[in-house]
Amino acid sequence: MARPPELLEDVLDGIDTLLVFSPSGAYYDRVKDVEGADVVVVATENSVGAETFVELPLAFDDVKERIRFGIEGALTEGAIEDGDELGCAAPLFGDDIDMVARTKVDESRHSGIYDLFANSRAEPGVIRDVFEVAIELGQKGQKGKPVGALFVVGDAGKVMNKSRPLSYNPFEKSHVHVGDPIVNVMLKEFSRLDGAFVISDSGKIVSAYRYLEPSAEGTDIPKGLGARHMAAGAITRDTTAVAIVLSESDGLVRAFKGGELVLELDPEEY
Amino acid sequence: MQVDFSPVLDPDFRYVLAVAVLFAGLALGYLIGRVNERLLLALDVDKAVEGTSIERMAHDIGASTVSLVARLTSWIIYAFAVLVALEVARLTVQDAVWYPIVGFLPSVVIAVAVLFFGVLAGDKAELFVSERLRSVKVPEMSVLPKAVKYSVLFVAALVALSQVGVAIDALLVLLAAYVGALIIFTAVATHQLLTSAASGAYLLLRQPYGIGDRVAIGEHEGIVQEVNVFVTRVEDDGREYVLPNHLVFKRGVVVVRE
Repeated sequence: MARPPELLEDVLDGIDTLLVFSPSGAYYDRVKDVEGADVVVVATENSVGAETFVELPLAFDDVKERIRFGIEGALTEGAIEDGDELGCAAPLFGDDIDMVARTKVDESRHSGIYDLFANSRAEPGVIRDVFEVAIELGQKGQKGKPVGALFVVGDAGKVMNKSRPLSYNPFEKSHVHVGDPIVNVMLKEFSRLDGAFVISDSGKIVSAYRYLEPSAEGTDIPKGLGARHMAAGAITRDTTAVAIVLSESDGLVRAFKGGELVLELDPEEY
Repeated sequence: MQVDFSPVLDPDFRYVLAVAVLFAGLALGYLIGRVNERLLLALDVDKAVEGTSIERMAHDIGASTVSLVARLTSWIIYAFAVLVALEVARLTVQDAVWYPIVGFLPSVVIAVAVLFFGVLAGDKAELFVSERLRSVKVPEMSVLPKAVKYSVLFVAALVALSQVGVAIDALLVLLAAYVGALIIFTAVATHQLLTSAASGAYLLLRQPYGIGDRVAIGEHEGIVQEVNVFVTRVEDDGREYVLPNHLVFKRGVVVVRE
């Protein structure tokens, strides 16, 4: 008769690297000298003093997202390589580690999401909030009809100087931030009209209805995307902002940084 | 207690009356206790006291804060009922023994209630402050919630003690010294922050310049990236100047329009 731990042996057998998510100090002490695998700690902060550490800019609720993000981060930081076999130990139900999983690093699935959150000018929480609004807008649309929207996040001063108003700015003299409860409704309502939303580094909604006029020279975005995506790509090339676009035609949410498409999400999958 | 007992001179009837008073008191006490419990639950007091030391203490003895308070009100009324019944039955050997105690009881009850709410408020304040400071990972900060808690407790104890007539003049002087020191310390230490916040309130309300405007504050010129209560962030050529808002008022601000 096999004891339960032995049944799980092949899950962690032959892994190259063990990713440990938010371990307690005692757990890390047990895990750090484990034989046959490197240990990478993934957490919101390095409270255990780990040697190889990947910072999570957000505490992802979804474990799958957290693991994917951790892998992207470790890949970006060079702690793991394409084709590595990974073991992941993470907390799922409680605060302590209570699950293990196995996965393989696949460079081709590298989406650049880690870089987007961790190395952007705007705060990670702000980018996440904007993503949430875009995804929600993509799922529900405006009164049942698909709707498009363009959010330019960060470096707001420069973005404002590279754009002009299409109409009066509904956010003039207001101090609302993305993530405030009422704001999602306002953003949805204003997404009906054309133009971009400009959001500052700290999440303040600076303006709506902006017509972006960056120099689009040399912006290379996939063929078939429209003017909204072109404007998004171009503005992120001209400034240090990040642009998050909800496509009206195919309903996908795309993120641009440095003039390039870094992330493509289907709102229906969330 | 000058109750007119003239129609009931008969001692037997007095005993019956006393028993009736006693039972009425017990029923009333029980009813008020129940109503009190319902009322406290309806006011969400049980959720408000969650996690405080009183709730934990109550939990240890197998009760909750709400049921303890409800039971306390019942017991106070029971005690009064017993005293009144004894009085009606004229069973007290010497009247003088009861009167000071009965007269003193309300102050004691109020003092206990004040202490009770003091401990609750202190715990709540401690929880609130530590919750707000949770993202600040400075170990020295853990002193602050404790300080807040004991300050609240100190004031509550003072009120309770004055309620039962204990001399608290020395403690009052201590409190005054403490509060005075706190005010002076805050005023001196956060002087710049306060002036910045006052200027920031004006800047946010009136918005003489906004994000995207080119401004010069003192010798720093650039494009405004962010305005909050305390600072204005101005960026120029890859340099981001974080300027305290009181500079805007002290040095003035130039809004550059080409």
